[in-house]
Amino acid sequence: MFACIYIPDFPVEAIVRAEPLLREHAVAVLEGKPPLVRVIALNEKARQLGMEIGMTKLQAAVFSRNPSPTNDSTGLAVLRQRSCEQELSARAALLDVAHAFTPRVEDTAPDTLLLDLVGLDRLYGAPAKMASDLAARLITVGIEANIAIAANPDAAMHAARGFSGTTIIPAGSEAQRLGVLPLQVLLDAFEISPQKKISGEAPRRQEKKLREQILDTLERWGVRDFRTLALLPEHALASRLGERGTQLRRLARGEGMRTLVLCAPPAQFEEALELESPVETIESLSFVLHRLLEQLCARLEARSLATHELRLRLQLERRVADEETITIDELKPPYPHNVAHKPIFERTLRLPVSMRDSKVFLKLLQLELAAHPPGAPVIRLWITAEPAPPRTAQRGLFLPVTPEPERLEITLARISSIVGERRAGIARLLDSHRRESFCVDRFALMASGIPHISSPTLSDANNHIPLALRILRPAQPLHVDLSAGRPDTLISEKQTEKTKIQGKVLWSAGPWRSSGDWWTEKMKQDIAAREPSGPWDREEWDIALTVTNLDQENKDDIGVALYRIYRDVATGNWFADAIYD
Amino acid sequence: MSSVAALPTISVRRPASSLRAHIESSLGERLSSTLLLRERATRLTVPIGIAPLDLLTGGLPRGALSEITGPPSSGRTGVMLSALAGATQRQEVCALVDASDSFDPASAATAGVNLERLLWVRCSQPANVKRNAIGMKYSSPGFAFSSVLEQVLKIADLLLQSGGFGMVVLDLGDVPMESARRVPLASWFRFRRAVEPTATVLLLIEQEACAKTCASLVLRLQSETIFVSNPDAFDRSQYDLRFVSHNVGYVNSAVSISRSSSVGHASLLRGMSFRAEMVRSWTQRKPPQSVGTHFEMRTAL
Repeated sequence: MFACIYIPDFPVEAIVRAEPLLREHAVAVLEGKPPLVRVIALNEKARQLGMEIGMTKLQAAVFSRNPSPTNDSTGLAVLRQRSCEQELSARAALLDVAHAFTPRVEDTAPDTLLLDLVGLDRLYGAPAKMASDLAARLITVGIEANIAIAANPDAAMHAARGFSGTTIIPAGSEAQRLGVLPLQVLLDAFEISPQKKISGEAPRRQEKKLREQILDTLERWGVRDFRTLALLPEHALASRLGERGTQLRRLARGEGMRTLVLCAPPAQFEEALELESPVETIESLSFVLHRLLEQLCARLEARSLATHELRLRLQLERRVADEETITIDELKPPYPHNVAHKPIFERTLRLPVSMRDSKVFLKLLQLELAAHPPGAPVIRLWITAEPAPPRTAQRGLFLPVTPEPERLEITLARISSIVGERRAGIARLLDSHRRESFCVDRFALMASGIPHISSPTLSDANNHIPLALRILRPAQPLHVDLSAGRPDTLISEKQTEKTKIQGKVLWSAGPWRSSGDWWTEKMKQDIAAREPSGPWDREEWDIALTVTNLDQENKDDIGVALYRIYRDVATGNWFADAIYD
Repeated sequence: MSSVAALPTISVRRPASSLRAHIESSLGERLSSTLLLRERATRLTVPIGIAPLDLLTGGLPRGALSEITGPPSSGRTGVMLSALAGATQRQEVCALVDASDSFDPASAATAGVNLERLLWVRCSQPANVKRNAIGMKYSSPGFAFSSVLEQVLKIADLLLQSGGFGMVVLDLGDVPMESARRVPLASWFRFRRAVEPTATVLLLIEQEACAKTCASLVLRLQSETIFVSNPDAFDRSQYDLRFVSHNVGYVNSAVSISRSSSVGHASLLRGMSFRAEMVRSWTQRKPPQSVGTHFEMRTAL
């Protein structure tokens, strides 16, 4: 048993899939270089308006301006340029659904797929149930298609191309059911069958000419449908039309069996959209992103996959002075020629765990674009998802509750938008004797359940709580008076609200000299101030200072604060580094 | 007489709890629920990790706001790190909103904090100035936050709404008291309400209590004694100083050096002791001001 999925007016369906509101309208798809722009595909509503394939753009424009006699908004035809990216996305979605249903799939044509359903009745039920199930899955990825199930692949293909909706042909009644179909269906299907697939422009033109000749011959004989062709005597037909004639007769009778040429499922999950007019605001772009993300997630779901990396590429109307945009030439092919020489803005979301929630993706992309605006209006966009196995988590009854990864990602993105990038995350200590030798990594939840084995700490060893430090970032410049080589009095050079360090030193311990990285090149002072790298040489002191209670009520209270100060040996300047707390 | 007979009869020998249950069952819905005494829900607590403080407070209550206050060098950070160490070692995910960017990862690691389970949010620097691209009217809601306190409050909101955190610490230890007092009380009420139905410990580190009645536990810390290895180098007239005697060999040599000359290594900081005072507690309605304890912290030497 075989099923055929056929999408009538595929270029129209690819566009309607990206813009579902167009499904209620008459849509015509144009292609060609001006002035030779012609209609190449129409939907049924456009045909009812009187539009035809091959019309020029000017002729088609008449239908998009003048309302039909019914005089409603759907009476106007919508004209769209053909979009190869959207057709590729629609085809990939079709393949995803088919491969989720059965691994034995033949990619017969961009608009036609053949599925081998042998043995699947125990999994999915009767053929009618399988057909409805398949149709429902196609609708989830935004595609409406004709589905036919028959005993052989060619009969299923003819039925799908000839009858709209769902068609089930019981074994043995193929000739009867297919008999009413016009010969055009047979010849169209015969042309795309794998046995007859031809490459090259000249052979294709020759084949088309031959096909027209056969059609003319058969029409002259009065043969216009499958039934009359099936009734012709085989030998007489072979003597007049050759082997092709017998093949066509066999197909018209719904006979014959062939092996499917199986294809692999698509490895890339990408959705693309070309915008009719440039989009300038994030709100408008969000609608488009939402639609594309929903389709992407539906495709991933059809294949039982998730993603851990989402790449957004925006083609901008003009180049901006920004290092983050690149031209199309720097990207990997294939991209259509008409996108060349336009800047591409790319952002990548790397997720700590694999996810498949379009709303979460949308929010993350919104926050990402808010933090990194493209800088120019968007005319085309691509969203690519790197497939990954979905997250599996085995929670324990006695494990502590942890934040949900999806919500946590959004929270982290929101926090980053408030405090800036790399200001929120996990502190990771570096293997260095330098003070402040750490970096901030992206926060990601570890799998809990394995108890943390910390390195032996002071509190473990002696049952004492270690004295903690509060770091003053940046270090506060000090003016220090020395007495017998030791700090005696000090005052901070810049009195800020944060720290008011001044007074007589009650007690001091030091100096502890530390230096390092003296073998590296001396960096410029401004770079050294920003980045904790380059050589350092300092003398550290622990000091106790009197501090006055700043509380208005207890202003006379005097306490002691312990500071860590240091002298930069290279410059001789003093800084307050930390407070013991 | 008939109305008197209709009233429930109460045996005076019954215990109070059974009397109360009897009255409530007899009066049924006629008694407004607002008039009934509500028993305080028992809250789960997590240990701070410092035995005297755990004995004093019973631990930090979950689903409530706790405040640890004190001036600089009063042990607030040590207490915070101890609580964080306990939480992260219980595999809980914690968050530290660091208003003044003063968190020291090295100290935290020494205290036993599992840094991989701690989300550190550094607030002190102003948000990055973003390009206002021509032709792109993207709104950037985050970059209007100029004040650090606004950042802290906004981030705390986000973290509490996100849920799943075992402990959220707002470190306002270096924020001037004048600024901290200006935080509207409504914010603390909102935080309290947000954290109530969860198992999150919301901990506030600051110089002076500012959450008022929203806090379930307020602990005031004060430095008491500084332990150094050579007390001679300290001006005793102004501050209590204690000699450390457990490291005899080292201290003796230090003393001898100190007496012979004024070489810098004459004195070493060995630790501090602190006094903790419980100002407010969820277990006691009015804890006396004198309820306090002492604890010590040592340097890594």
